[in-house]
Amino acid sequence: MRLLVIEDDPLIARSLDQALTPLGNTVDVFTHYAQAHEALQSGQFDLVLLDLGLPDGDGLSLLAELRRRGDTTPVLILTARDGIEARVEGLDLGADDYLAKPFSLAELEARVRALLRRSQQRADNRLAFGPLAFDAASGVATLDEQVLDLPRRELLLLEGLLLHAGSITPRETLENRLFGFGDVGSNALEVYISRLRKRLDGSGLRIRTFRGMGYRLEEVSP
Amino acid sequence: MSIRCVALVWLLGALTPSLAWADNPLIVEAALDREVAAPLLDAFEEAYPRIQLTFRDHSTLEVDARVADADDPPDVVISSAMPWQMSRVNEGYAQRLDSTAAREWPEWAKWRDEVFGFTFEPIVMAYRLDLSRHMMPPKTHADMHTLLTQHRETLRDKVATYSPSRSGVGYSLFQQDARYTTRFWDLVAAMGAADTNLEANTRAMLEGLSEGRYWLGYNLLGSYAMVWAQSHPEVIVQVPQDYSLVMMRMAFIHRDAPHPAAARAFLDFLLGREGQRVIAGETPLFSVRSDVEGPYTAQRLRDQVGERLYPIPLNASLLAFVDPSRRTAFMERWQREFHRLSHPAPDQSAAATESPIRPDALAAVRRPGYGVVLPTNDSPDDME
Amino acid sequence: MIEVEGSLKARLAVWLVVTVSALGVLLLVEAYFSSQRAAERAYDSQLEAAALTIAEAIQWEKGQPVVEIPSAALQILATRHQERVFYAVLDADGHTVSGNLDLGISPDWRRRVSSQPTWLNDSYHGTQWRLYGRELDSAGWETQDPVQIWVGHTMSGRDALTETLFEHAVTRFVIMVLLAGILMLLAMRVALAPMRRLRHQLRQRDADDMRPLEARVPEEMREMAETLDSLFTRQREGREALLRFTADASHQLKTPLAGLQTTSELALKSDSPDAWRQALTEVHGSAGRTSRLANQLLSLARLRHAVEASATSRIDAVALLHETAFDWAQRDASQAHDIGLAPLPASPQYIQGEVWALQELLGNLIDNALRYTPAGSVITLGAVNHAQTLELYIEDDGPGVSPEMLAHLHHPFERGGRQDTEGSGLGLAIVDSIVRRHEARMQVESAEKGGLRVRLLFPCLTRHEEG
Repeated sequence: MRLLVIEDDPLIARSLDQALTPLGNTVDVFTHYAQAHEALQSGQFDLVLLDLGLPDGDGLSLLAELRRRGDTTPVLILTARDGIEARVEGLDLGADDYLAKPFSLAELEARVRALLRRSQQRADNRLAFGPLAFDAASGVATLDEQVLDLPRRELLLLEGLLLHAGSITPRETLENRLFGFGDVGSNALEVYISRLRKRLDGSGLRIRTFRGMGYRLEEVSP
Repeated sequence: MSIRCVALVWLLGALTPSLAWADNPLIVEAALDREVAAPLLDAFEEAYPRIQLTFRDHSTLEVDARVADADDPPDVVISSAMPWQMSRVNEGYAQRLDSTAAREWPEWAKWRDEVFGFTFEPIVMAYRLDLSRHMMPPKTHADMHTLLTQHRETLRDKVATYSPSRSGVGYSLFQQDARYTTRFWDLVAAMGAADTNLEANTRAMLEGLSEGRYWLGYNLLGSYAMVWAQSHPEVIVQVPQDYSLVMMRMAFIHRDAPHPAAARAFLDFLLGREGQRVIAGETPLFSVRSDVEGPYTAQRLRDQVGERLYPIPLNASLLAFVDPSRRTAFMERWQREFHRLSHPAPDQSAAATESPIRPDALAAVRRPGYGVVLPTNDSPDDME
Repeated sequence: MIEVEGSLKARLAVWLVVTVSALGVLLLVEAYFSSQRAAERAYDSQLEAAALTIAEAIQWEKGQPVVEIPSAALQILATRHQERVFYAVLDADGHTVSGNLDLGISPDWRRRVSSQPTWLNDSYHGTQWRLYGRELDSAGWETQDPVQIWVGHTMSGRDALTETLFEHAVTRFVIMVLLAGILMLLAMRVALAPMRRLRHQLRQRDADDMRPLEARVPEEMREMAETLDSLFTRQREGREALLRFTADASHQLKTPLAGLQTTSELALKSDSPDAWRQALTEVHGSAGRTSRLANQLLSLARLRHAVEASATSRIDAVALLHETAFDWAQRDASQAHDIGLAPLPASPQYIQGEVWALQELLGNLIDNALRYTPAGSVITLGAVNHAQTLELYIEDDGPGVSPEMLAHLHHPFERGGRQDTEGSGLGLAIVDSIVRRHEARMQVESAEKGGLRVRLLFPCLTRHEEG
């Protein structure tokens, strides 16, 4: 993946470079508005990490211009501006996510991964998380390249979890997906979750329950 | 007066010769001898050739009657019967004249800017040259009284004056005389004792003097007398040295004047410099304006006679003279005084010739009890 | 925002013009009528005099009244203005003894005059006349019949005198108004002098001069001066509070920074990679705490010193709680804890508030719970709808806080008697500020399971307010 980092603080810029390159990305770093502007016009990137406070311009106007051109490249805003207004404005202008400084690198990596995955999924119509994958066109799920033969409701559940992989899928969403809007027993969903859990056992993936909220498909921490 | 009106009058004046008065008739009803007024009328016709002037010369009575004639009112009314003119104005028969000449006209010679005294005619005594062979001719009213008392027999039937009953002018003059001094009644008594002749107009008195019938005349219109004396050397005109009444001929525009514009032009001419100049130079009427030159000007008269000229005041007091009961009272007194020193007092029938009031005459002129009373047998105060 | 709305002078001038015009109209109307009355009195007395003069001249002969109208009477009637004049002397039967015009004295008028002298206005041939009649008792030898004397004249003199008097009144009034206007301007200059002085004084003040005013002001301006003074006082207090806070805050920041400095210094002196690793771990942890501290300080400062209240809006508090819980549950910091939602009310629950502040509020409470409870603790968020209030709560099953410390929890830098955690003690202070901004109440109490339960009680929007 090709990443564009626009960040004027050299320390942070270097950290970002060093953190993101090992994940298999090509990282271009620019510290000024003008350079970034030029780079955005000429090159194609998979993700832009944008700092708002640049010495020679406002990052938001760069974002606005990008979206005006119809460029849908995902943009993650990094800023020390601590105002809800700045955040709302950024999202309004078409930013995909927002991270306030200071942030932990782990948090950043997670967000970057999620954004890249989302843009990837949009690109090839295929859901994937770790060893698990689901082709929406054919309706075939694979784990470690092995086709998983799943009943319909488990397949629906898997697809629902994969759609939100890495974040919590609300319980209501999954219930609607599996049972429609009809009334359903409180532990009906739990039954299918536990079935799916068994299938994922040992795959390095697990389904975590969030009390009162929903479920999350996540990688088992090393 | 508004500026618009001034402008209008000026404009009318400016347009006069060309078109404004084309075929414009103008009727002037006047108690003023046409012959005397002729130069004035000629001058007017010259100045306003398009105005067709009709000058009707009548007695004061006729003039006054014509004022009230609703069917055929005149445009301009001129009369020497000052109280009667005044009375008509008071009744509202006049209309205001708004013009420069009217505004500048002396206050003492106009009333309400409606009626204007445009001549200045002194009242004089006149005597025949023969008189001076018998006695010192009178110079004052007192002289007159003395002569009548001391030479009563010599002067018997040789004195003439106005009849107060037959002449409005005469009546006014005697009223005015009586206002100035009570000794006037002594004069009346003395005249009565000398069998003074009572004439209806100045002309009759002047003719009597020339013919030798009269030696002495009292209260003649100076304007006519002076002209007469020029052609009749036997007649001497004496302006009284103690005081001399001055009569003014009064002119006003009739309220219902059919030709008001022409009437205004005529009156303006009378009051204007040109008209007054003609009056001063070519008529014996004497001009009122002080800015004109000529043999007959009020100013010149003043220079000759001094300040003893007493113009009959042109104000509301004149109205009293035409009050019927006042007139009655005055005439009664006149009769009493006139006969006081003469032979046995005449009975009522004898006095009837001088009776001031004839009810039928009053009725003919006015509604009973109101307004102006004119003697019925008055004749023009002009030389005819 | 200061908006200039006219000037005092203009305002006073408008008032003056309006009142003076209204008053002026009244005055002028009054002046006109009083001028008319004055003119009437003046000329009526002339009529009276003329009538008397005529009365003097009446005599009786043979039982009949006889009058020789005196010229003077007519001149009095005519006046300077050369009025047209009328006179009539009527006998007891109403017959004219003497007179000049027929103005038609009606029997009715004669009756009125027989009781008392009377003035009348009448129109004759389109001209207005003023008439006066009086009755005179006869003193004749033969008869005692009374006679009536009527006099009258036109009214141009009255009109002229009325006009003159009215003109004088108008002139006086205009002069008075002009003088009053000038005096008002002068008076305003004098009256506004204290205000100019005060303005001058304020203009000369330094921007940071918050001392009380020292100015002599009139009574009317005392309130304004006092308001200014109290404004200065509040600003002074606010600034002092800010200074204190800044001092506190920098003190708070200095401590972790000192730790960073010493740790890194020691690590640099060491040659052991193990020691470096140890030091870097400490530095990393401390940097995180420090930035969090800085964030909280900023939040607190913003909350306490925000001049402009952000626009509040109607917020579904349940949805907000739901969203915030999801957000926090997925954070790295939460992975060691069991964050969950209690069953929420099915319908939206609306309160009036600011979204960012409420998120900050809930976030701080969750953050606090995460920090002050051991790993594995259960943290539950929930919402309960009471009749007039909506309760949002967060409870944990951690060690809790002793009852005596509960009261002090919301003071800045207070950590509930604990120095063993990573917290700064600012969390609850921020929470407290936000709660007060929302006119809500916060109750901190021990939970049933032994941990802490924080209850936030918001006033519900009534249906009317929702509309």
